[in-house]
Amino acid sequence: MEIIKAQDIYRTFVSGNITTHVLKGVSLDVQLGEFVAIMGKSGAGKSTFMYQLSILDHPTSGTIIINGTNTKELNEHEQTEFRLNTLGYIFQDYALVPDLSATENCMLPLLMKGEDWDKAKNKAVEMLTSVGLETRVDNLPSQLSGGEQQRVAIARALAGNPKIIFADEPTANLDTISGNAIIDLLGELNKKGQTIVMVTHEEEYTKYCNRIVRMEDGKIIKEEVLR
Amino acid sequence: MRTFRIGFLLGFRQIQRASIWTTTLIIFVMMLTFLNLIAVSGVLVGLIAGAEKAVRENTYGDLVISPHSEEDHILNTQTIVREISTYPEITTYSVRYNGTGELEANFKERRDLKGDADVTGVKVTGIDTQKEDTTTNLSDFIVEGEYLDPNEEGKILIGAYYLSQYAELYGDIFETVEDVHPGDTVRLTVGEISKEFTVKGIIQSKVDDTNLNTYIPEREFRRLFGRIDQNADVIAIKINNPADNIKIKESLLNSGLGDYAKIQTFEESTPKFLADIKKTFNLLGTFIGSIGLVVASITIFIIIFINALSRRRNIGILKGIGISERAIEIAYVLQATFYALAGSLLGALLTYGFLVPYFDANPIQFPFSDGILVADPIETLYKFGILFITTLIAGFLPAWLITRQNTLNSILGRK
Ligand SMILES: Nc1ncnc2c1ncn2[C@@H]1O[C@H](COP(=O)(O)OP(=O)(O)O)[C@@H](O)[C@H]1O
Ligand SMILES: [Mg+2]
Repeated sequence: MEIIKAQDIYRTFVSGNITTHVLKGVSLDVQLGEFVAIMGKSGAGKSTFMYQLSILDHPTSGTIIINGTNTKELNEHEQTEFRLNTLGYIFQDYALVPDLSATENCMLPLLMKGEDWDKAKNKAVEMLTSVGLETRVDNLPSQLSGGEQQRVAIARALAGNPKIIFADEPTANLDTISGNAIIDLLGELNKKGQTIVMVTHEEEYTKYCNRIVRMEDGKIIKEEVLR
Repeated sequence: MRTFRIGFLLGFRQIQRASIWTTTLIIFVMMLTFLNLIAVSGVLVGLIAGAEKAVRENTYGDLVISPHSEEDHILNTQTIVREISTYPEITTYSVRYNGTGELEANFKERRDLKGDADVTGVKVTGIDTQKEDTTTNLSDFIVEGEYLDPNEEGKILIGAYYLSQYAELYGDIFETVEDVHPGDTVRLTVGEISKEFTVKGIIQSKVDDTNLNTYIPEREFRRLFGRIDQNADVIAIKINNPADNIKIKESLLNSGLGDYAKIQTFEESTPKFLADIKKTFNLLGTFIGSIGLVVASITIFIIIFINALSRRRNIGILKGIGISERAIEIAYVLQATFYALAGSLLGALLTYGFLVPYFDANPIQFPFSDGILVADPIETLYKFGILFITTLIAGFLPAWLITRQNTLNSILGRK
């Protein structure tokens, strides 16, 4: 079953009299439970494509259907709701709320979904435990290493129980050991059935992926099915 | 509900993690704003309240009876006095006779009869010494010498501004006699009649009506001014509960006393200058308060704006992971509220714990008033309410401006 159906996506930026065609007709289907890697040189349009898929941005033309919902039809408020309930994000620089402890960061999507305080807290601690941070639950982001912060970010993304997790170069700021650990964690999650779309530069980080999508100059030039 | 919970979590933690110095500074600014709102106008209003209090308690009384404008004196004064002495609500009253005369001093020492005599025109008030004192505590304002004794004749009280040694503070505006002290003899001339008086005491108060006046017993006044009809010029009435003066006035009018004289409450009889100053000061207080309020809103606006702007990316990410804008706005409004509440609380503590008691004990000495700090709790609460609502708006607006920006642009730090 396709959880993402992106069809003929164009994204053009106009600023003044300069028009930049960043995405030039990209189509991609992602199956439920797949782990897809998007690779390509810097400037190929990978991030821009991720923003379209995760409805942080909107294509100039083309349609994106996620989990059966045509994202074009969602209003601002419904988009926020949709991101909360269906999508999970892992950013390159972790993007944690600096004033909140690891647990509280993970509680955010849960509270937003209407869980009560204690339940949200238990679930958040459970999530942090599942990413190996059971001893760090009360730490602030500033008291955690980069690798640990990224784990919190993953735990936060998972806490919302999303259908798809988007990760744009989640290891870019990490050393090889921490990076590998994050990739192992994502691989594990995928094994449990989590759909993941990840952008990465490193071939070796695609070891758990089902498929590699290669982009160049705003187009998909090659798809490799690994298993 | 869930948005509130998240808003509170975010806002509360932001306050908690903010630098203690920033927080202290902001709260301090809010406290000053609150003081500006309460205390500054409070002092202005207090100044007038003090003046009004002085006039009411030491001159006019709670009810004032004076002649109708077409009459020279109050008619049937004895009837009126008889009627008002039957009112249990009336504590006491003072019947006064007013006139003007010429006061001459230092005439015995005068050698050069061709030179100018030491003379000044004066107001003369004839009083029942005891009744006047119970009504207006006139004896409290004796600064030299003593108050009039009801059994003595030929004694006079002189208002300070007729005497050079008191009046010179104010430059040349008052006409004075030189070097007069208790025990000295002065001559009061009314028309053709002159009488010598011994100065018994000198009076000075916050009310110019008293400072520019001389007092003699009513019997001597009537003799001097030839007022055989016993019709007076002012009856000042003091009421047990001063706020009842409207009721008592109505009742006096109902008994027909309105035919003989004009009956006014203190409020109606307030000298126009006082009413004008009061209006002006109230306006000034409101004006300064409004500026304070504007400054407060701008301060809060800037604080929250900078705060939210420096966290723009954070706000973008929160929206990105599905946190509603409302929740984020609540977080900032909560912070604004916290600063306003903490500042107001400190301000209120300072006002009621220190400033009000301090100024009550040590009134600011103004020539026309003992300035106290008037901070009516209801008024304060009302102003606090205004400050609070302003703060909510000033906190909400910048948060709203920044949360409504495009999510991706916020995350990427783009314009
Ligand atoms: N808002 C924009 N306006 C103009 N050009 C943009 C904008 N966003 C991205 N681009 C351009 O699109 C290209 C692809 O960017 P991006 O998707 O970030 O690439 P990648 O993530 O593959 O490195 C880049 O050349 C970038 O300059
Ligand atoms: Mg990129």
